[in-house]
Amino acid sequence: MSDVTDIPVHAVERLRGLRGDGHPEGIFTSDFSVNEFLLVRKAGFEPIGLCIGSCIYHVGIQYGSWSKNQELESLSQAMYEARELAMARMREEAAGMAADGIVGVELTVKRLEWDQHILEFMAIGTGVVHAKGHPGYKGPQGQPFTSDLSGQDFWTLLQAGYRPLEMVMGSCVYHVAHQGMLRSLGNVGRNAELTNFSQALYDAREIAMERMQNEATEAGAEGVVGVDLHEGSHNWQPHVIEFFAVGTAVTPIAGERDGSALPDPQLVLSVNS
Amino acid sequence: MSLLSNLLGMARGSGAARDSEQSAQRMAEWDQALQSGRLPSFVEARLAAAAAGKVPWVATMSAAEFGLARGKGVRPLAMVSGTCWLHYGYSWTRGHAEGWRTALARLQHEARAVGANAVVDVKMRTVRLAVGESMDFTLLGTAVRIDRMPEATHPIVATVPALEFVRLIEAGITPVGIALGAQYQFLDPGVGMLMQSILGGSGGGGRIAMTSSSAARVQGSSRPFTNAVLPELSQFWEGIRRAAVAELLRDVQRQGTGVLAHTQLGQLFRVEQNNSPPRFLGRHIVIGTVVNTRRAIPVPHEIRAALDMRGTASPLSHSPPAGRHAYPANEQGGAI
Repeated sequence: MSDVTDIPVHAVERLRGLRGDGHPEGIFTSDFSVNEFLLVRKAGFEPIGLCIGSCIYHVGIQYGSWSKNQELESLSQAMYEARELAMARMREEAAGMAADGIVGVELTVKRLEWDQHILEFMAIGTGVVHAKGHPGYKGPQGQPFTSDLSGQDFWTLLQAGYRPLEMVMGSCVYHVAHQGMLRSLGNVGRNAELTNFSQALYDAREIAMERMQNEATEAGAEGVVGVDLHEGSHNWQPHVIEFFAVGTAVTPIAGERDGSALPDPQLVLSVNS
Repeated sequence: MSLLSNLLGMARGSGAARDSEQSAQRMAEWDQALQSGRLPSFVEARLAAAAAGKVPWVATMSAAEFGLARGKGVRPLAMVSGTCWLHYGYSWTRGHAEGWRTALARLQHEARAVGANAVVDVKMRTVRLAVGESMDFTLLGTAVRIDRMPEATHPIVATVPALEFVRLIEAGITPVGIALGAQYQFLDPGVGMLMQSILGGSGGGGRIAMTSSSAARVQGSSRPFTNAVLPELSQFWEGIRRAAVAELLRDVQRQGTGVLAHTQLGQLFRVEQNNSPPRFLGRHIVIGTVVNTRRAIPVPHEIRAALDMRGTASPLSHSPPAGRHAYPANEQGGAI
């Protein structure tokens, strides 16, 4: 076994936690993989600590009218507020450690066993700072930026001449109307569109997407990357569905890089197998 | 992102907190739009604002895809979708074909409204909600404007992600749309002939005359200890597959010169019947991305061979683990 003195002095100090006490360059925590860490560093950033925010929320009850397509606003707001609280708490942690932003945010929802109306919302990501203290990477209003981009995607986005502003989201909990018996009978033996269902899904998706886009506008973003629309039910009645749109709002890095800086990728064929 | 600002956004009419009158009005607009093949005014407004660059663009692309696509003159505009919830009271298989085709037409409609000449990364989705014999057919994708391509009345629809889309364009291969083939047939050994679906006949599977055969012979159960080919069942199943592929081919011919990356679903069922021998149902659906390309165009890309020291653990030989965007559905909590 090699002698501990083979390791550079500063590394030993960090391993022993000697520089951890109140020192800004102390030990960091992160959930980065090795490659993510390398690429975040390559992008000119250093991880400083895991940022966590959680919120345990009692979601109220709201019933949709049996035969009506409608948004259940109370549930939409509950789902939005709980996620927003978890995100805000995570961002506070990041601000507390003077991070420029948080990358790799994972946002999860979990049901607690003892009560079907209680949901746990958790946001977790790695706080990073610009290694040279560049001030131009903060999010809106000087707050740390938030982003669900991985370390790899973060590097790539910066290479493309853009920086993340914040994770934007839109939620819409929707009650899809039940089809009346007479109408069902009318469709026996033929293929026909059930337009009330099509409308419900369209409307709910449209609302979630509009809300996410509103957030991006508020943040002053040029666009939103990595958007996905999730559909889920959190132990509600079968016809109640949440549509959740989420992505990372981005803005160009003024005058620093342009899109052509991103090198054309080399095509590689693995000959192992 | 603040809660207050979001709620304010909702109050401004784009989002929640609508009263029931507004909600009913919105529904009426959807109803009218779907009946007449138009878009509701609020969707048109969103897409027009995106086309004019008044609202942030929205892309399903990853950061890498966005960066590369931008370098190739592909600009994201908005997320577009097409949905059709179809009841297949007559035929599951034909219903699937019709459902996807309707959704595709609606997706293209939205893409035209936003001034896109292509839609990339088109994903097939469904909301799992048991409503009798029916299903949700939804397509979601990113509408883009490709600078080098002219305005299009029929935007290109590609199921491939932006990264592959750019590779195809570079190699002189233009993805032009989605093609689909769907067939189903019943085999009724008791009757001794193949019952072909009424509508499914368009698939060209043809009526295959069979000699009178018992259910036992079709299934091979009359001679349980013998190895034997089951000719009726083989012929039946092969016929369905061929017919589905023939329909796919006709769909491709209408649009381009070839089809790539097709996915397929084939199912063969034994349907038990009261007081008569069981019958068989076979159904087969194939869906792929249609491309337009001339023969023997050279591929401009250099390809390097790589020997990966990680062997079987190489990420090159496996699909990468789900990225951070793929929120795994929590067993208890459902999706995010």
